[in-house]
Amino acid sequence: MTTVIPFGPQHPVLPEPVSLKLEIDNDVVVGALPSLGYVHRGLEKFIDTKDYNQTMYICERICGICSALHGITYCMSVEKLFNVEVPERAQYLRVINGELNRLHSHLLWLGLFADGFGFESLFYECWKYREGVLDVLERTTGNRVIHSMSKVGGAAKDLTKEHIDLILKMLDTLEPQVKNIDKVFVNNYTVKKRLVGLGVMSKQLAYEAGTAGPTLRGSGNAIDVRETADWDIYKDLGFKPAVEKDGDCYARTKVRINEIYESIKLIRNAISKLPNGDIAIPIKGFPTGEAIMRTEQPRGEVVYYVKGNGTKNLERLKIRTPTFANIPSLLLMLPGVKLADVPIVVLTIDPCISCTER
Amino acid sequence: MLENEVEIKSSAELLKTVEGLKSDGYRYATMICLKANEGHDFIYIFEKDYKLKNLRYFVKPGEKPKSVSGIYLCALLIENEYQDLFGLTFEGLAIDYKGHLYLTPNSPKAPLA
Repeated sequence: MTTVIPFGPQHPVLPEPVSLKLEIDNDVVVGALPSLGYVHRGLEKFIDTKDYNQTMYICERICGICSALHGITYCMSVEKLFNVEVPERAQYLRVINGELNRLHSHLLWLGLFADGFGFESLFYECWKYREGVLDVLERTTGNRVIHSMSKVGGAAKDLTKEHIDLILKMLDTLEPQVKNIDKVFVNNYTVKKRLVGLGVMSKQLAYEAGTAGPTLRGSGNAIDVRETADWDIYKDLGFKPAVEKDGDCYARTKVRINEIYESIKLIRNAISKLPNGDIAIPIKGFPTGEAIMRTEQPRGEVVYYVKGNGTKNLERLKIRTPTFANIPSLLLMLPGVKLADVPIVVLTIDPCISCTER
Repeated sequence: MLENEVEIKSSAELLKTVEGLKSDGYRYATMICLKANEGHDFIYIFEKDYKLKNLRYFVKPGEKPKSVSGIYLCALLIENEYQDLFGLTFEGLAIDYKGHLYLTPNSPKAPLA
């Protein structure tokens, strides 16, 4: 006999409200139905009242964790409408800002995840290390969360020599700190016991389910938008996507840890190759036509569609966020999982509900 | 007009094309809904080897579009979103939230319509 149990919207492991109706049979999940709608703000409608430059600031406020990459992706999509290429230095500045964003997002997630399986001290460590990244973001951009580093046409703020020294010093401190927590997440007996073989999704299932980011790459799919032609710069920086093949909670965790090392490498390489020159080009007129732009946020691929009609306002802005792509995979991963393990499986898609509902 | 875009004329052609794309190894990325000529333009976005393929299908006024969630389960959320925001009704949705994915009974009706 099955029983329906509500999971969320308020739950100790959920930083944002989402609800799952779980069908349980003898303590094992046999069905799951997600319910959304707790933080829908209608932002795609709201941009009707904003001009295309102001819309960047709305996009940054979709999410407090991947704000930088929302802003960058929006700017790149509108630049496609104008058919302009921003200065090379601006592209490097976007990479540095985007990867710093990924660092603090993954450290935040690792902390929340540790808290989710009851490892409080590990949670404290992850968030303590994240503070170093946030401090640097605050010193270099003026804000911890909403950085406004990007604008249509390039970068809104430049990095000074002092800023670059701060970033490099922070990375030198952070790398050994990450190695410390890496050992625990990857080797600790109790952690492995909770994660290995749990919430398994095969390579093909993850692909066909349209998943994105570490959820997709944790199942052996080497797909990362940073490898696309829109992001040629990443090739010059020696980017390699982090991939694990086992498709379980442990694999998705290892992908995120490896992405932290990759981001550290990318930031160092971007700084060493940072060209001199302008950080933005002037944009004149109003956008027309349609464009699609994709970038790799910490939770996976974000898709921006923009349509301009020659006025200052965009006719349509549509955003497909990575969690929106990953939520349906819970319908596939949760059946067969014990009720006590549901929070762990849900957390491994790194759900961001503010992004999802916009 | 988007790069690599194919225009679809009927719902039967849409379902057949989407099935073909799945067999060819395309991943469902998302769907865009736009107001157009009293009806709606749908742009289905698929991806394979980092290349996008876009299908554009015009939904006539009053037409109930067919859901592709029977082919790609992951399409169910975006199709439900458009039921909420554009007041559309999809036929054959794998899970139908009946216009209440985001919106409550007291919310504005079809705010993007």
